[in-house]
Amino acid sequence: MLSSRLIGRTAVRSAFQKSTMPSMISARRTYATEAEQKDLVIIGGGVAGYVAAIKAGQEGLKVTCIEKRGTLGGTCLNVGCIPSKSLLNNSHLYHQILHDSKHRGIEVGDVKLNLDQLMKAKDTSVTGLTKGVEYLFKKNGVEYIKGTGSFQDDHTIKVALNDGGETSVSGKNIIIATGSEASPFPGLEIDEKRVVSSTGALSLAKVPESLAVIGGGIIGLEMASVWSRLGAKVTVIEFMDQIGGPGMDTEVAKSIQKILKKQGINFKTSTKVVNGDTSSEKVKLNLDAAKGGKEESLDADVVLVAIGRRPYTGGLGLENTSVEVDERGRVVIDSEYRTKVPHIRCVGDVTFGPMLAHKAEEEAVAVIEYIKKGYGHVNYGCIPSVMYTFPEVAWVGQSEQDLKKAGIKYRVGTFPFSANSRAKTNLDTDGMVKMIADPETDRLLGVHIVGPNAGEMIAEGTLALEYGASCEDIARTCHAHPTLAEAFKEAAMATYSKPIHM
Amino acid sequence: MLRSPVTMASFSRACRVSARLARRALANDAAVRGLRTSSAARAAQNFTMPALSPTMTEGNIASWRVKEGEKFTAGDVLLEIETDKATMDVEAQEDGIMMKIMQGDGSKGIQVGTRIAVLAEEGDDISALEIPADEGGKQSPKQDNKPSTPEQAQMIDENNNTETKSEEPVKISRQEATKERAKAAKQTRPLLPSVQHLIKEHGLPDSAVDEMTPTGPNNRLLKGDVLAYLGKIDAKTPQQISERWDHNSHLDLTNIKISIAEPKGAKVPEKTAKTQAPAPTPVTSLSLPISLQAALDIQKKVNATLGTFLPLSTFIARATELANDELPLPANYQPSADELFNQVLGLDKVGTKVSRGKYLPQVSAFPPVPRAAQSKKADIIDILAGTAKKSASVRQNGAQASGVPSGINLFSLTVPKPEEKRAKVFLERVKLVLENDPGRLVL
Repeated sequence: MLSSRLIGRTAVRSAFQKSTMPSMISARRTYATEAEQKDLVIIGGGVAGYVAAIKAGQEGLKVTCIEKRGTLGGTCLNVGCIPSKSLLNNSHLYHQILHDSKHRGIEVGDVKLNLDQLMKAKDTSVTGLTKGVEYLFKKNGVEYIKGTGSFQDDHTIKVALNDGGETSVSGKNIIIATGSEASPFPGLEIDEKRVVSSTGALSLAKVPESLAVIGGGIIGLEMASVWSRLGAKVTVIEFMDQIGGPGMDTEVAKSIQKILKKQGINFKTSTKVVNGDTSSEKVKLNLDAAKGGKEESLDADVVLVAIGRRPYTGGLGLENTSVEVDERGRVVIDSEYRTKVPHIRCVGDVTFGPMLAHKAEEEAVAVIEYIKKGYGHVNYGCIPSVMYTFPEVAWVGQSEQDLKKAGIKYRVGTFPFSANSRAKTNLDTDGMVKMIADPETDRLLGVHIVGPNAGEMIAEGTLALEYGASCEDIARTCHAHPTLAEAFKEAAMATYSKPIHM
Repeated sequence: MLRSPVTMASFSRACRVSARLARRALANDAAVRGLRTSSAARAAQNFTMPALSPTMTEGNIASWRVKEGEKFTAGDVLLEIETDKATMDVEAQEDGIMMKIMQGDGSKGIQVGTRIAVLAEEGDDISALEIPADEGGKQSPKQDNKPSTPEQAQMIDENNNTETKSEEPVKISRQEATKERAKAAKQTRPLLPSVQHLIKEHGLPDSAVDEMTPTGPNNRLLKGDVLAYLGKIDAKTPQQISERWDHNSHLDLTNIKISIAEPKGAKVPEKTAKTQAPAPTPVTSLSLPISLQAALDIQKKVNATLGTFLPLSTFIARATELANDELPLPANYQPSADELFNQVLGLDKVGTKVSRGKYLPQVSAFPPVPRAAQSKKADIIDILAGTAKKSASVRQNGAQASGVPSGINLFSLTVPKPEEKRAKVFLERVKLVLENDPGRLVL
């Protein structure tokens, strides 16, 4: 406690000096590049890294953040969550104007797609947000080094600067937050033009006539939605028998698959991509149905490889430290995010747990709290997942198949949006809210939503889980009328007693 | 120190020790409670009857040395307390203002932990401050032998000058939490709607809430807890769910398989199944007679030409190393996650079907010297057929040529049954290198 106060005080003092004696400070900086030891050095300026840096700055630590991309925000802000949401939102508008306006009483003339402008809108969002993070760095006194960091030893990190040259920083504490990269599909080289990863799929030069998506997880389905709405003929190939990845509730996965199929996306589940051939004009994929199906091939102009992501530690120089990685390349940590070297900690995609930006963000705050206060907490049982298709899919807690597999008794209640007044007025009635609770105590175990605005609605489910609420607690909480959230309340009623509007 | 045998005259004087000492003994308990109050009462703090000895349960206030509204600094005597044993001064631990005295001079039989005054921090405007709620007084000293002294804890907390002290409250607060969980903590938060409803529905008195065992996050009372209290469900169920949640709320960091730093260049999947081979796997013994004559010849030649004597063990060790390379996978081979992933992608045909072995053959003379340990392996047919009896110690490091240095030696190996084929290939390779071209092993 005392030490924290002291650090707080010195930070104030140094800030004071900076404003009064700028010349002296700058002189000291050049002199001190080698010798100065920071309280904290963070490698990676993605969601985990930048949040940790800002939090550390707020806590009065002298902190440096090293990022090689040139912009902050990592995969999420630059080539992930954020640009994809821009494309999803605008492609949805386009699609709706094109196909879903007449019966609403809106007659539009010639609707044209301007892909360049669509991409520009996306870039504007991205630039705005990454610049925003850079501003927050300045505001919180975070030193930002643009370059590639690699460990020299347990305390020193050599940085190859993006502008040329080299520097090195050392820290009392170091956080590895280097994130993840798209897993390549062996035998199918990603050129980001015809064979693309999620990054390339965000900036295709033109709408492909046909798009094949390998992997029916969240990323695959979101990108499939974008390009399908813009006019591509999309086929999603999934090895498992359900789409949406392993965490999605099976009932919800089936429901969204039906809805997306209606929107024109083709699905080949339980199908394995044997190999691919890029030699001819179209990319040819050879498929093998896993269960008794026959081999077939599929031609596509563009192939999106979205089979998952893997931890990224390339060039980090972990071999110069005693930091361990596991067989899947994840940096091994303990419950306080410490690696084998106690002052080097690790958070985000590069270590264990789901690869989600909000999980990384939670960990980033917790790890600073561990460094500063000796205790931090992330509730891994309450991390929501959202898929931004239309309608959206969102869930938190345990799925029905999880509970079934674990032999845990449960009770399910569902409420369809087709019985919800707001959804009716919006003419968006696809989907449902599904709740799973303990049959005896009524304690909420999981919430699974497929429907309009599911991603916003899941916050209520997460809050309920965090507080140990029962379905009755949700049902006895007043929800405004008419809202989509009423479906949430009715699902709770359906779980512990009976819904009113069904 | 309070019980030192002194004359009555000097007794009270001797006992006029700083309450600080006694306080130290109680620091742990006090600190805990302090943690609870510190965040809530930033401005004014309750000052409760301190326990000046471990056995003290109540005391009288002889006199206050500081009047209401007066400032005091750390070390000032705040008041004199009489116990059945002595009269003692209580010193202030930090600067502050006496905001209000709740129990005046001459108050008798005040339970330890009862609020006796309210203190404000130096510089506070005491007319604007609210008097905090009395927390200590409700605590029954009979139930909890260790008295509650929030103000002391508060001081310790605020006054924290050493790191060890700052760690104490955290540690103990966890113990406290579990203690409270067991005996049903008082619910201070608004009750959940379901809980409220059940209580009203069943006409339970307000006091019933305190008798229920909360199992929710941060000791929150849940619907299930009320149902359990009412006997409507199994009393253990809420706790079981709570434990399950607790488990789920942590990252699963068990069963981590550390990746072994790969030797540069060679990307051979290393020992996956073998190291994990569980004990009960049936083992089998394999042996192969190998002539070391060629090796002996080379040894002689090298000795003659270069003047260096190469021990036979060098030949065997190098042959072993060579033979271990790229052995066929054992029958019970467990593919790694990466290999499974490749299989999922349909690339298993591309992947390697071989891995590096770790065999070390045991070398003995052939025919075996009549040693007790080896007599059972005497039957050559059995040996060649691989049906010889199990031998316990095989993979020893010192696989030296213990047999006759000339002629034929017996190389034997005991391996788990599924690795039989793999081991056979290994032995054949050793034989090949040692008999045909041992020179290449050393030159």
